[in-house]
Amino acid sequence: MLKKGDFFILGFVLILIIVSFTGVYLYKNSGSNAHKIAVIIKDNEEIKRIDIDNVNEPLEISVSGEYNNIILVEKGRIRFKEADCPDRVCVNTGWLTGKGDTAVCLPNKTMIKIEGQSSDVDIVTY
Amino acid sequence: MLVNKIWHCLLIGDYMTKRFTVIILSIVLCTSVLFVSCGYNSSDLYETQEFLMGTVVLQKIYHENAAEIAKEVNDRIAEIESTMTINKPGGEINLLNDAAGKEYVKLGEDTLYVLDKAKQYAEISNGAFDVTIGPLVKAWGVFTDNPRVPSKNEIDELLKLVNYKDINIDFENSTAMLAKEGQIVDLGGIAKGFAADEAVEIYKEHGVKSALISLGGNIFTLSGKPDGSPWMVGIRNPRGNDGSYIGIVRVKDKAVVSSGDYERFFEKDGVRYHHILDPKTGYPADTGLIGTTIISDFSIDADALSTAVFVLGLEEGMKLVESLDGVDAVFITADKKIYVTDGLKDTFIFKDESKEFEYVEKR
Repeated sequence: MLKKGDFFILGFVLILIIVSFTGVYLYKNSGSNAHKIAVIIKDNEEIKRIDIDNVNEPLEISVSGEYNNIILVEKGRIRFKEADCPDRVCVNTGWLTGKGDTAVCLPNKTMIKIEGQSSDVDIVTY
Repeated sequence: MLVNKIWHCLLIGDYMTKRFTVIILSIVLCTSVLFVSCGYNSSDLYETQEFLMGTVVLQKIYHENAAEIAKEVNDRIAEIESTMTINKPGGEINLLNDAAGKEYVKLGEDTLYVLDKAKQYAEISNGAFDVTIGPLVKAWGVFTDNPRVPSKNEIDELLKLVNYKDINIDFENSTAMLAKEGQIVDLGGIAKGFAADEAVEIYKEHGVKSALISLGGNIFTLSGKPDGSPWMVGIRNPRGNDGSYIGIVRVKDKAVVSSGDYERFFEKDGVRYHHILDPKTGYPADTGLIGTTIISDFSIDADALSTAVFVLGLEEGMKLVESLDGVDAVFITADKKIYVTDGLKDTFIFKDESKEFEYVEKR
Protein backbone atom coordinates (compact mmCIF):
# COMPACT_ATOMS: atom_id res chain seq x y z
CA MET A 1 0.00 0.00 0.00
CA LEU A 2 1.17 3.50 -0.73
CA LYS A 3 1.56 5.68 2.27
CA LYS A 4 0.89 9.36 2.25
CA GLY A 5 4.63 10.05 2.22
CA ASP A 6 5.02 7.94 -0.90
CA PHE A 7 2.86 10.37 -2.81
CA PHE A 8 5.17 13.17 -1.75
CA ILE A 9 8.12 11.24 -3.04
CA LEU A 10 6.31 10.39 -6.25
CA GLY A 11 5.41 14.04 -6.69
CA PHE A 12 8.94 15.10 -5.93
CA VAL A 13 10.39 12.64 -8.44
CA LEU A 14 7.92 13.72 -11.12
CA ILE A 15 8.70 17.39 -10.57
CA LEU A 16 12.41 16.65 -10.67
CA ILE A 17 12.05 14.82 -13.98
CA ILE A 18 9.88 17.54 -15.51
CA VAL A 19 12.25 20.25 -14.33
CA SER A 20 15.31 18.50 -15.70
CA PHE A 21 13.73 17.86 -19.09
CA THR A 22 12.43 21.41 -19.44
CA GLY A 23 15.81 22.65 -18.26
CA VAL A 24 17.51 20.77 -21.05
CA TYR A 25 14.91 21.89 -23.55
CA LEU A 26 15.26 25.54 -22.53
CA TYR A 27 19.03 25.32 -22.56
CA LYS A 28 19.08 23.89 -26.04
CA ASN A 29 16.78 26.59 -27.36
CA SER A 30 18.12 29.53 -25.45
CA GLY A 31 20.66 32.20 -26.19
CA SER A 32 22.98 31.51 -29.06
CA ASN A 33 21.50 28.07 -29.55
CA ALA A 34 18.12 29.37 -30.62
CA HIS A 35 19.35 32.16 -32.83
CA LYS A 36 19.81 31.48 -36.49
CA ILE A 37 23.20 32.61 -37.73
CA ALA A 38 23.54 33.12 -41.48
CA VAL A 39 26.96 33.06 -43.08
CA ILE A 40 27.91 34.47 -46.46
CA ILE A 41 30.91 32.90 -48.15
CA LYS A 42 32.64 34.26 -51.24
CA ASP A 43 35.62 32.52 -52.87
CA ASN A 44 35.96 30.21 -49.87
CA GLU A 45 36.20 33.16 -47.45
CA GLU A 46 33.54 34.03 -44.91
CA ILE A 47 32.65 37.64 -45.66
CA LYS A 48 29.69 38.15 -43.35
CA ARG A 49 28.01 36.58 -40.36
CA ILE A 50 24.54 37.78 -39.36
CA ASP A 51 22.19 36.85 -36.55
CA ILE A 52 19.12 36.86 -38.78
CA ASP A 53 16.71 36.62 -35.86
CA ASN A 54 17.93 40.04 -34.78
CA VAL A 55 17.28 41.69 -38.13
CA ASN A 56 14.26 43.95 -37.85
CA GLU A 57 14.53 45.97 -41.04
CA PRO A 58 15.11 44.16 -44.36
CA LEU A 59 18.76 44.33 -45.30
CA GLU A 60 20.41 44.00 -48.70
CA ILE A 61 23.98 42.87 -49.18
CA SER A 62 25.79 43.07 -52.53
CA VAL A 63 28.44 40.56 -53.40
CA SER A 64 30.40 41.29 -56.53
CA GLY A 65 32.97 39.25 -58.36
CA GLU A 66 32.81 37.59 -61.75
CA TYR A 67 29.06 38.16 -61.46
CA ASN A 68 26.95 40.13 -59.00
CA ASN A 69 24.63 38.82 -56.34
CA ILE A 70 22.25 40.72 -54.11
CA ILE A 71 21.41 38.94 -50.90
CA LEU A 72 18.29 39.90 -48.98
CA VAL A 73 17.96 39.39 -45.25
CA GLU A 74 14.71 39.66 -43.32
CA LYS A 75 13.88 38.62 -39.79
CA GLY A 76 14.62 34.91 -39.56
CA ARG A 77 15.30 34.35 -43.24
CA ILE A 78 17.80 35.02 -46.01
CA ARG A 79 17.91 34.55 -49.78
CA PHE A 80 19.60 35.43 -53.04
CA LYS A 81 17.35 38.20 -54.33
CA GLU A 82 19.08 39.01 -57.58
CA ALA A 83 21.93 37.62 -59.65
CA ASP A 84 23.27 38.32 -63.11
CA CYS A 85 24.80 34.87 -63.49
CA PRO A 86 23.46 32.76 -66.36
CA ASP A 87 21.65 30.01 -64.48
CA ARG A 88 20.20 31.92 -61.51
CA VAL A 89 19.98 28.68 -59.56
CA CYS A 90 20.77 30.67 -56.43
CA VAL A 91 17.75 32.96 -56.83
CA ASN A 92 15.47 30.03 -57.63
CA THR A 93 16.50 28.33 -54.41
CA GLY A 94 14.36 30.91 -52.60
CA TRP A 95 14.30 31.65 -48.89
CA LEU A 96 16.50 29.88 -46.40
CA THR A 97 14.69 29.61 -43.10
CA GLY A 98 15.94 26.57 -41.20
CA LYS A 99 19.24 25.49 -39.73
CA GLY A 100 21.41 23.72 -42.28
CA ASP A 101 19.73 25.41 -45.29
CA THR A 102 22.13 26.52 -48.01
CA ALA A 103 21.98 28.31 -51.35
CA VAL A 104 24.86 28.53 -53.78
CA CYS A 105 25.77 30.68 -56.76
CA LEU A 106 28.42 28.51 -58.44
CA PRO A 107 29.30 30.98 -61.23
CA ASN A 108 30.12 33.68 -58.69
CA LYS A 109 31.40 31.27 -56.04
CA THR A 110 29.05 32.70 -53.44
CA MET A 111 27.27 30.69 -50.82
CA ILE A 112 24.83 31.49 -48.04
CA LYS A 113 23.90 29.11 -45.30
CA ILE A 114 22.22 29.05 -41.94
CA GLU A 115 24.52 27.41 -39.44
CA GLY A 116 23.47 24.24 -37.71
CA GLN A 117 22.00 20.88 -38.55
CA SER A 118 18.67 20.18 -40.11
CA SER A 119 16.83 17.70 -37.95
CA ASP A 120 15.65 15.27 -40.65
CA VAL A 121 18.58 14.78 -42.98
CA ASP A 122 22.35 15.19 -42.75
CA ILE A 123 22.71 16.09 -46.41
CA VAL A 124 20.82 16.06 -49.70
CA THR A 125 22.12 14.83 -53.08
CA TYR A 126 21.93 16.96 -56.21
CA MET B 1 26.39 -5.39 -6.66
CA LEU B 2 25.31 -1.79 -6.33
CA VAL B 3 22.09 -2.59 -8.12
CA ASN B 4 21.46 -5.40 -5.70
CA LYS B 5 21.98 -3.11 -2.75
CA ILE B 6 19.59 -0.54 -4.14
CA TRP B 7 16.96 -3.21 -4.71
CA HIS B 8 17.56 -4.41 -1.21
CA CYS B 9 16.90 -0.94 0.19
CA LEU B 10 13.79 -0.51 -1.91
CA LEU B 11 12.29 -3.88 -1.07
CA ILE B 12 13.01 -4.45 2.55
CA GLY B 13 14.45 -1.20 3.86
CA ASP B 14 12.42 0.77 6.36
CA TYR B 15 10.28 3.64 5.22
CA MET B 16 12.98 6.31 5.56
CA THR B 17 15.57 4.24 3.72
CA LYS B 18 13.12 3.65 0.89
CA ARG B 19 12.31 7.29 0.61
CA PHE B 20 15.95 8.23 0.74
CA THR B 21 16.86 5.70 -1.95
CA VAL B 22 14.11 6.86 -4.27
CA ILE B 23 15.20 10.48 -3.92
CA ILE B 24 18.83 9.61 -4.58
CA LEU B 25 17.86 7.49 -7.56
CA SER B 26 15.77 10.23 -9.11
CA ILE B 27 18.53 12.78 -8.64
CA VAL B 28 20.94 10.40 -10.36
CA LEU B 29 18.40 9.90 -13.16
CA CYS B 30 17.89 13.61 -13.70
CA THR B 31 21.58 14.40 -13.67
CA SER B 32 22.19 11.70 -16.23
CA VAL B 33 19.43 13.16 -18.39
CA LEU B 34 21.28 16.47 -18.25
CA PHE B 35 24.62 14.90 -19.02
CA VAL B 36 23.35 12.76 -21.86
CA SER B 37 21.41 15.56 -23.52
CA CYS B 38 24.13 18.14 -23.16
CA GLY B 39 26.95 15.78 -23.91
CA TYR B 40 25.48 14.75 -27.22
CA ASN B 41 25.83 17.88 -29.23
CA SER B 42 27.78 18.51 -32.38
CA SER B 43 30.62 20.40 -30.70
CA ASP B 44 33.24 18.04 -32.06
CA LEU B 45 31.87 18.31 -35.60
CA TYR B 46 34.09 20.14 -38.06
CA GLU B 47 32.33 21.40 -41.15
CA THR B 48 33.85 23.13 -44.15
CA GLN B 49 32.99 23.92 -47.73
CA GLU B 50 35.14 24.91 -50.62
CA PHE B 51 34.51 25.72 -54.29
CA LEU B 52 36.36 23.00 -56.22
CA MET B 53 35.80 20.94 -59.39
CA GLY B 54 33.21 23.46 -60.52
CA THR B 55 31.03 22.76 -57.52
CA VAL B 56 30.88 22.97 -53.73
CA VAL B 57 32.85 20.41 -51.76
CA LEU B 58 31.34 20.01 -48.30
CA GLN B 59 33.01 18.01 -45.57
CA LYS B 60 31.69 17.04 -42.14
CA ILE B 61 34.35 15.40 -40.03
CA TYR B 62 34.20 14.12 -36.45
CA HIS B 63 37.83 13.91 -35.44
CA GLU B 64 40.60 15.84 -33.76
CA ASN B 65 42.72 17.94 -36.15
CA ALA B 66 39.80 17.70 -38.59
CA ALA B 67 40.78 21.06 -40.09
CA GLU B 68 44.11 19.69 -41.27
CA ILE B 69 42.51 16.56 -42.65
CA ALA B 70 39.92 18.62 -44.52
CA LYS B 71 42.69 20.75 -45.98
CA GLU B 72 44.56 17.66 -47.15
CA VAL B 73 41.37 16.39 -48.79
CA ASN B 74 40.74 19.71 -50.54
CA ASP B 75 44.32 19.76 -51.82
CA ARG B 76 43.93 16.24 -53.16
CA ILE B 77 40.67 17.17 -54.90
CA ALA B 78 42.28 20.26 -56.42
CA GLU B 79 45.08 18.04 -57.70
CA ILE B 80 42.61 15.62 -59.30
CA GLU B 81 40.72 18.54 -60.81
CA SER B 82 43.79 20.04 -62.45
CA THR B 83 44.83 16.63 -63.79
CA MET B 84 41.46 15.65 -65.23
CA THR B 85 39.65 18.86 -66.16
CA ILE B 86 39.03 19.96 -69.73
CA ASN B 87 37.56 23.30 -68.67
CA LYS B 88 40.94 24.79 -67.82
CA PRO B 89 44.22 24.51 -69.71
CA GLY B 90 46.87 22.05 -68.61
CA GLY B 91 46.42 18.61 -67.13
CA GLU B 92 46.65 15.11 -68.48
CA ILE B 93 43.23 14.75 -70.11
CA ASN B 94 43.90 17.84 -72.21
CA LEU B 95 47.17 16.22 -73.33
CA LEU B 96 45.32 13.03 -74.19
CA ASN B 97 42.68 14.93 -76.16
CA ASP B 98 45.24 17.08 -77.98
CA ALA B 99 47.12 13.97 -79.10
CA ALA B 100 43.94 12.19 -80.29
CA GLY B 101 44.61 10.22 -83.47
CA LYS B 102 48.29 11.10 -83.27
CA GLU B 103 50.22 9.50 -80.47
CA TYR B 104 50.22 7.82 -77.09
CA VAL B 105 50.71 10.13 -74.11
CA LYS B 106 52.19 9.37 -70.74
CA LEU B 107 49.57 9.46 -67.97
CA GLY B 108 49.65 9.21 -64.20
CA GLU B 109 48.23 6.35 -62.20
CA ASP B 110 45.07 8.27 -61.28
CA THR B 111 44.13 9.14 -64.84
CA LEU B 112 44.79 5.62 -66.12
CA TYR B 113 42.66 4.18 -63.32
CA VAL B 114 39.75 6.52 -64.03
CA LEU B 115 39.97 5.96 -67.80
CA ASP B 116 39.94 2.21 -67.27
CA LYS B 117 36.95 2.43 -64.92
CA ALA B 118 35.17 4.65 -67.44
CA LYS B 119 35.72 2.01 -70.12
CA GLN B 120 34.40 -0.73 -67.85
CA TYR B 121 31.20 1.17 -67.16
CA ALA B 122 30.79 1.97 -70.83
CA GLU B 123 31.00 -1.75 -71.54
CA ILE B 124 28.55 -2.94 -68.90
CA SER B 125 26.09 -0.18 -69.79
CA ASN B 126 26.44 -0.93 -73.48
CA GLY B 127 27.66 2.59 -74.17
CA ALA B 128 24.99 4.45 -72.20
CA PHE B 129 27.83 5.94 -70.18
CA ASP B 130 30.62 7.01 -72.50
CA VAL B 131 33.34 9.53 -71.63
CA THR B 132 34.19 10.09 -75.31
CA ILE B 133 30.98 12.18 -75.44
CA GLY B 134 33.28 15.26 -75.25
CA PRO B 135 32.79 16.63 -78.80
CA LEU B 136 29.00 16.72 -78.27
CA VAL B 137 29.23 18.28 -74.80
CA LYS B 138 31.33 20.98 -76.40
CA ALA B 139 28.91 21.49 -79.30
CA TRP B 140 25.92 21.87 -76.98
CA GLY B 141 27.89 24.13 -74.63
CA VAL B 142 25.70 23.11 -71.71
CA PHE B 143 28.41 24.06 -69.23
CA THR B 144 29.09 27.44 -70.81
CA ASP B 145 27.25 30.73 -70.57
CA ASN B 146 25.99 30.30 -74.13
CA PRO B 147 24.43 26.88 -74.65
CA ARG B 148 22.91 26.15 -78.06
CA VAL B 149 21.12 23.42 -79.99
CA PRO B 150 23.47 22.07 -82.66
CA SER B 151 22.06 21.14 -86.06
CA LYS B 152 21.11 17.54 -86.79
CA ASN B 153 23.97 17.33 -89.30
CA GLU B 154 26.51 18.60 -86.81
CA ILE B 155 25.31 16.10 -84.22
CA ASP B 156 25.46 13.18 -86.67
CA GLU B 157 28.99 14.15 -87.68
CA LEU B 158 30.16 14.43 -84.07
CA LEU B 159 28.52 11.13 -83.11
CA LYS B 160 31.12 9.39 -85.28
CA LEU B 161 33.73 10.50 -82.75
CA VAL B 162 31.89 8.99 -79.80
CA ASN B 163 33.12 5.49 -79.02
CA TYR B 164 34.68 4.35 -75.78
CA LYS B 165 36.40 1.49 -77.63
CA ASP B 166 38.68 4.11 -79.17
CA ILE B 167 40.31 4.71 -75.77
CA ASN B 168 43.47 2.62 -75.99
CA ILE B 169 45.23 2.09 -72.70
CA ASP B 170 48.74 0.70 -72.46
CA PHE B 171 49.23 -0.15 -68.79
CA GLU B 172 52.74 -1.48 -69.29
CA ASN B 173 54.02 1.89 -70.47
CA SER B 174 51.47 3.98 -68.53
CA THR B 175 50.22 5.60 -71.71
CA ALA B 176 46.94 6.02 -73.54
CA MET B 177 45.71 7.27 -76.88
CA LEU B 178 42.43 8.13 -78.53
CA ALA B 179 42.12 6.46 -81.91
CA LYS B 180 40.66 9.30 -83.99
CA GLU B 181 41.62 12.92 -84.35
CA GLY B 182 39.02 15.23 -82.84
CA GLN B 183 37.97 12.78 -80.14
CA ILE B 184 37.53 14.33 -76.71
CA VAL B 185 37.38 12.54 -73.38
CA ASP B 186 35.26 14.34 -70.77
CA LEU B 187 35.55 12.85 -67.29
CA GLY B 188 32.82 15.11 -65.88
CA GLY B 189 30.63 12.08 -65.17
CA ILE B 190 33.18 10.12 -63.17
CA ALA B 191 36.03 12.30 -61.83
CA LYS B 192 34.04 13.59 -58.84
CA GLY B 193 33.27 10.01 -57.90
CA PHE B 194 36.95 9.18 -57.99
CA ALA B 195 37.78 12.26 -55.92
CA ALA B 196 35.25 11.25 -53.24
CA ASP B 197 36.84 7.80 -52.98
CA GLU B 198 40.27 9.40 -52.62
CA ALA B 199 38.95 11.68 -49.89
CA VAL B 200 37.70 8.66 -47.97
CA GLU B 201 41.15 7.07 -48.26
CA ILE B 202 42.62 10.16 -46.61
CA TYR B 203 40.04 9.99 -43.80
CA LYS B 204 40.94 6.36 -43.20
CA GLU B 205 44.68 7.06 -43.18
CA HIS B 206 44.08 9.54 -40.38
CA GLY B 207 41.91 7.10 -38.48
CA VAL B 208 38.74 9.17 -38.88
CA LYS B 209 35.80 7.13 -37.60
CA SER B 210 32.95 9.25 -38.84
CA ALA B 211 32.80 11.68 -41.75
CA LEU B 212 30.76 12.76 -44.72
CA ILE B 213 31.85 14.40 -47.95
CA SER B 214 29.72 15.87 -50.70
CA LEU B 215 31.26 16.90 -54.01
CA GLY B 216 28.40 18.80 -55.53
CA GLY B 217 25.95 16.22 -54.29
CA ASN B 218 28.20 13.22 -54.90
CA ILE B 219 28.07 11.99 -51.35
CA PHE B 220 30.20 9.53 -49.46
CA THR B 221 29.48 8.58 -45.87
CA LEU B 222 32.35 7.13 -43.90
CA SER B 223 30.91 4.79 -41.29
CA GLY B 224 27.82 6.07 -39.47
CA LYS B 225 27.34 9.08 -37.23
CA PRO B 226 29.38 9.24 -34.00
CA ASP B 227 26.48 7.75 -32.02
CA GLY B 228 26.50 4.75 -34.36
CA SER B 229 23.31 5.63 -36.18
CA PRO B 230 23.31 5.74 -39.99
CA TRP B 231 23.66 8.96 -41.95
CA MET B 232 20.38 10.29 -43.29
CA VAL B 233 20.89 11.22 -46.93
CA GLY B 234 18.06 13.03 -48.70
CA ILE B 235 17.40 12.15 -52.34
CA ARG B 236 17.00 15.38 -54.26
CA ASN B 237 13.54 16.30 -55.50
CA PRO B 238 14.20 16.80 -59.25
CA ARG B 239 11.44 19.39 -59.46
CA GLY B 240 12.14 21.15 -56.17
CA ASN B 241 14.77 23.59 -55.02
CA ASP B 242 18.29 22.84 -53.88
CA GLY B 243 18.01 20.98 -50.61
CA SER B 244 14.49 19.63 -51.16
CA TYR B 245 14.10 15.87 -51.23
CA ILE B 246 11.61 13.12 -52.03
CA GLY B 247 12.94 10.52 -49.64
CA ILE B 248 15.77 9.52 -47.37
CA VAL B 249 18.21 6.63 -47.46
CA ARG B 250 19.87 5.54 -44.23
CA VAL B 251 23.45 4.58 -45.00
CA LYS B 252 26.82 3.72 -43.49
CA ASP B 253 30.01 3.43 -45.55
CA LYS B 254 28.17 4.11 -48.79
CA ALA B 255 28.42 6.39 -51.76
CA VAL B 256 25.17 8.09 -52.77
CA VAL B 257 25.19 9.85 -56.13
CA SER B 258 22.29 11.40 -58.02
CA SER B 259 21.99 12.40 -61.65
CA GLY B 260 19.13 14.35 -63.10
CA ASP B 261 17.84 16.66 -65.76
CA TYR B 262 17.69 19.48 -63.20
CA GLU B 263 21.43 19.84 -62.61
CA ARG B 264 22.26 21.82 -65.75
CA PHE B 265 19.78 22.79 -68.39
CA PHE B 266 18.67 25.58 -70.67
CA GLU B 267 15.51 26.42 -72.53
CA LYS B 268 15.27 27.22 -76.20
CA ASP B 269 12.02 27.85 -78.07
CA GLY B 270 10.05 26.45 -75.17
CA VAL B 271 12.02 23.18 -75.09
CA ARG B 272 14.05 22.24 -72.07
CA TYR B 273 17.46 20.75 -72.84
CA HIS B 274 19.43 19.15 -70.01
CA HIS B 275 23.09 18.21 -69.76
CA ILE B 276 23.00 14.39 -69.78
CA LEU B 277 23.56 13.52 -73.42
CA ASP B 278 22.68 10.11 -74.79
CA PRO B 279 25.85 8.83 -76.56
CA LYS B 280 23.63 6.97 -79.03
CA THR B 281 21.57 9.94 -80.21
CA GLY B 282 23.72 12.95 -79.34
CA TYR B 283 20.66 14.62 -77.78
CA PRO B 284 19.76 14.96 -74.09
CA ALA B 285 18.69 11.54 -72.82
CA ASP B 286 14.92 11.19 -73.11
CA THR B 287 13.91 7.92 -71.51
CA GLY B 288 11.21 9.08 -69.15
CA LEU B 289 13.47 9.59 -66.13
CA ILE B 290 14.11 12.90 -64.39
CA GLY B 291 16.34 11.66 -61.59
CA THR B 292 18.40 8.61 -60.71
CA THR B 293 20.38 7.84 -57.57
CA ILE B 294 22.93 5.07 -57.05
CA ILE B 295 23.97 3.75 -53.65
CA SER B 296 27.15 1.65 -53.70
CA ASP B 297 30.41 0.94 -51.90
CA PHE B 298 32.55 3.18 -54.08
CA SER B 299 31.73 6.63 -55.33
CA ILE B 300 33.39 6.16 -58.72
CA ASP B 301 30.93 3.33 -59.45
CA ALA B 302 27.95 5.33 -58.20
CA ASP B 303 28.96 8.37 -60.27
CA ALA B 304 29.30 6.46 -63.55
CA LEU B 305 26.24 4.31 -62.92
CA SER B 306 23.92 7.17 -62.01
CA THR B 307 24.54 8.66 -65.45
CA ALA B 308 24.38 5.26 -67.18
CA VAL B 309 20.99 4.32 -65.72
CA PHE B 310 19.63 7.80 -66.39
CA VAL B 311 20.41 7.26 -70.08
CA LEU B 312 19.17 3.65 -70.07
CA GLY B 313 15.77 4.43 -68.59
CA LEU B 314 13.77 2.67 -65.87
CA GLU B 315 13.50 -0.88 -67.24
CA GLU B 316 17.01 -1.27 -68.62
CA GLY B 317 18.57 0.72 -65.79
CA MET B 318 16.82 -1.37 -63.15
CA LYS B 319 18.01 -4.54 -64.88
CA LEU B 320 21.60 -3.30 -64.91
CA VAL B 321 21.60 -2.30 -61.24
CA GLU B 322 19.97 -5.56 -60.11
CA SER B 323 22.69 -7.47 -61.97
CA LEU B 324 25.46 -5.79 -59.94
CA ASP B 325 26.45 -6.86 -56.44
CA GLY B 326 26.14 -4.32 -53.65
CA VAL B 327 24.56 -1.64 -55.83
CA ASP B 328 21.14 -0.11 -55.27
CA ALA B 329 19.19 2.63 -56.99
CA VAL B 330 16.30 5.07 -56.78
CA PHE B 331 14.56 6.01 -60.03
CA ILE B 332 12.27 8.99 -60.45
CA THR B 333 10.17 9.10 -63.60
CA ALA B 334 8.80 12.10 -65.46
CA ASP B 335 5.29 11.13 -64.34
CA LYS B 336 6.58 11.57 -60.77
CA LYS B 337 6.73 7.97 -59.67
CA ILE B 338 9.52 6.66 -57.48
CA TYR B 339 10.94 3.16 -57.86
CA VAL B 340 13.67 1.57 -55.73
CA THR B 341 15.66 -1.65 -56.10
CA ASP B 342 14.87 -4.56 -53.76
CA GLY B 343 17.93 -3.89 -51.59
CA LEU B 344 16.51 -0.49 -50.63
CA LYS B 345 12.99 -1.55 -49.70
CA ASP B 346 13.90 -1.59 -46.00
CA THR B 347 16.15 1.44 -45.78
CA PHE B 348 14.41 3.91 -48.08
CA ILE B 349 12.08 6.32 -46.34
CA PHE B 350 9.57 7.94 -48.67
CA LYS B 351 9.25 11.52 -47.47
CA ASP B 352 7.98 13.95 -50.05
CA GLU B 353 7.08 17.34 -48.67
CA SER B 354 5.94 18.54 -52.10
CA LYS B 355 3.30 15.79 -52.10
CA GLU B 356 3.68 15.49 -55.87
CA PHE B 357 5.44 12.13 -56.03
CA GLU B 358 4.14 8.62 -55.69
CA TYR B 359 6.21 5.80 -54.24
CA VAL B 360 5.67 2.61 -56.22
CA GLU B 361 6.68 -0.17 -53.85
CA LYS B 362 5.63 -3.06 -56.08
CA ARG B 363 6.49 -3.17 -59.71
